[in-house]
Amino acid sequence: MSFNPLAEKGIPLDDQIRDWRELGVAPVDPDATHPYTKCRIITMNAIEVESVFFGHHFSRFCTDRAVREHLAHTRYIEQQQQKVVNWLLPGTASVLETTISYEQQAVDLTAWLARHEPDPYLKQSYEFAVLEDFDHLYRYANLYEMIEHRQAEKLVDGLTEVMPGRPTAWEHRHPVDNVRDPYDKATADPRSKLHTLTLVAAEQQVMNLYMNVGPLYMEPIARQLYQEIALIEEEHVTHYESLMDPDETWWERLVLHEYNECYLYYSFMQQEPERRIKAIWELHLAMEIEHLRLAAEQMRRHDRRDPEEILPPEIPETMVFEPNKAYLRQLLDTQIDLTTLGAGYVRESHERFERMQQQIHRGEQPPSEQVIDEHRARFGREYRLQTEGEHPDPRLREPETTPA
Amino acid sequence: MQQREPAAPDDDVVEVLMQQHGVIHNLFDEVRASGAEDRQDAFSRLVRMLAVHETAEEMIVHPLARSAVPGGSGVVDDRLTEEASAKEMLSRLESLDPGAPDFLPLLDDLRLAVLTHARAEERYEFVKLRESTDAATRTRLATALKAAEAVAPTHPHPGINTPTENLVAGPVAAVVDRVRDAMRRANADAP
Repeated sequence: MSFNPLAEKGIPLDDQIRDWRELGVAPVDPDATHPYTKCRIITMNAIEVESVFFGHHFSRFCTDRAVREHLAHTRYIEQQQQKVVNWLLPGTASVLETTISYEQQAVDLTAWLARHEPDPYLKQSYEFAVLEDFDHLYRYANLYEMIEHRQAEKLVDGLTEVMPGRPTAWEHRHPVDNVRDPYDKATADPRSKLHTLTLVAAEQQVMNLYMNVGPLYMEPIARQLYQEIALIEEEHVTHYESLMDPDETWWERLVLHEYNECYLYYSFMQQEPERRIKAIWELHLAMEIEHLRLAAEQMRRHDRRDPEEILPPEIPETMVFEPNKAYLRQLLDTQIDLTTLGAGYVRESHERFERMQQQIHRGEQPPSEQVIDEHRARFGREYRLQTEGEHPDPRLREPETTPA
Repeated sequence: MQQREPAAPDDDVVEVLMQQHGVIHNLFDEVRASGAEDRQDAFSRLVRMLAVHETAEEMIVHPLARSAVPGGSGVVDDRLTEEASAKEMLSRLESLDPGAPDFLPLLDDLRLAVLTHARAEERYEFVKLRESTDAATRTRLATALKAAEAVAPTHPHPGINTPTENLVAGPVAAVVDRVRDAMRRANADAP
């Protein structure tokens, strides 16, 4: 009973445009909604945003009017899908609360994909970066308690731990050291292509969010922290997108985008406990099946190749949002000290890394350290949520505290 | 951007109000999470906190926003409309038994209304208030607010019989009166 999106029948494209009533979705409850439902919303928003911008770039490089018209049509539908998905987020949540959900999403999405990645170099690349998102969650959680006087536990609900990862201060590498080597499209497992595309989309959306909402804050420490972490997200987008084979044709990429959307909507619909949200995942899957069919047709016509050549023979194991605590703790124990040198990973710091660190920090504490210092000064402690015991790395255990 | 004067966090009325928003949100969580036996107690604490907070806003924050913030009158009118609708829900809730089947759904409605109201205050009122007032004014108002909170504590110490404890057990109207008195006194004592 394996599901094959290429063999399914979707909704005809002409029937996919939605009216205001259908677009006017009610937001989820900020307190009662499962944290992983929010993570699924955030992931699918990122996926739709990527599909829209991919379509725009494709169009800018395309000379065939018929193709541009087709891209415009599906892109408009993807925009409506993005509106429905992202408008599920509640306006009563603050930007910082949404940010914390974004980081929880980045951590548990990346960890799951790393655990299921068949290629060792790609797996290493995801493992490397997840420790950085993990650290961002901890920094923002401390900011959250300072500004809003609530604890991030209310948002992550104990599913994801909150404690230091690879310290954000160490994440500022020289830009050339963020360029990885690409997979080879001829030999790569199709799952690897999907995983990489998902991570590009997710990190790109985090980057876009922070680069736009950061200056809307008044508190100097909040403005600075968003600025610092937005720069790390630029590194992450560079990191993940450089893993994709630049020789993939536009048509291959289009087919991979549409297949990935089918894969993720299909995955999330299996897991979604909220009936109303599950219905959205089902509806969007039916729309994407048609987008995939049309993309496959175009690939056959323009590339003169069968899309089956680049797609998985059957839908891969469904992606699941679930706790990854033990896995993350094992990475915290073994990979904190890694940095990059060229396309590879090294344990020792090197000249280019040191010079970058010197240029950006100038011997001062960056905002990601200041936020913890300010939190300690105010509350006499840091904010952490360590459900499985103390930090695996003795250097990153909380220092002795004094009563506030 | 204009550099805000760095008043110590607890000495800034906007910080104290934001802190109270956090406490109110937590109290809603407590009521939702409590079983039938503890629900009345958690709900009473929520009601008292709401009374302290809203009374203080009506007495000092909204009037200040009206006069100090450009366009403040319209912003405050919108907030008062939200408050009136929340108060109506609250009084319906108070007439229900916390174990009644309608109680939790109505509590959800109230929670979303209060969260929406609080977020609107933070976005449209507090931001402007911070811009248009000086640190000394905000410190004075923070003191008044803390004095008001002290006469109507939301977490009474068990086993000690004090006038405060009587107040805690008393009706919300009494809380509101106490808060008003305390704030008038604090304002009168201000240099």
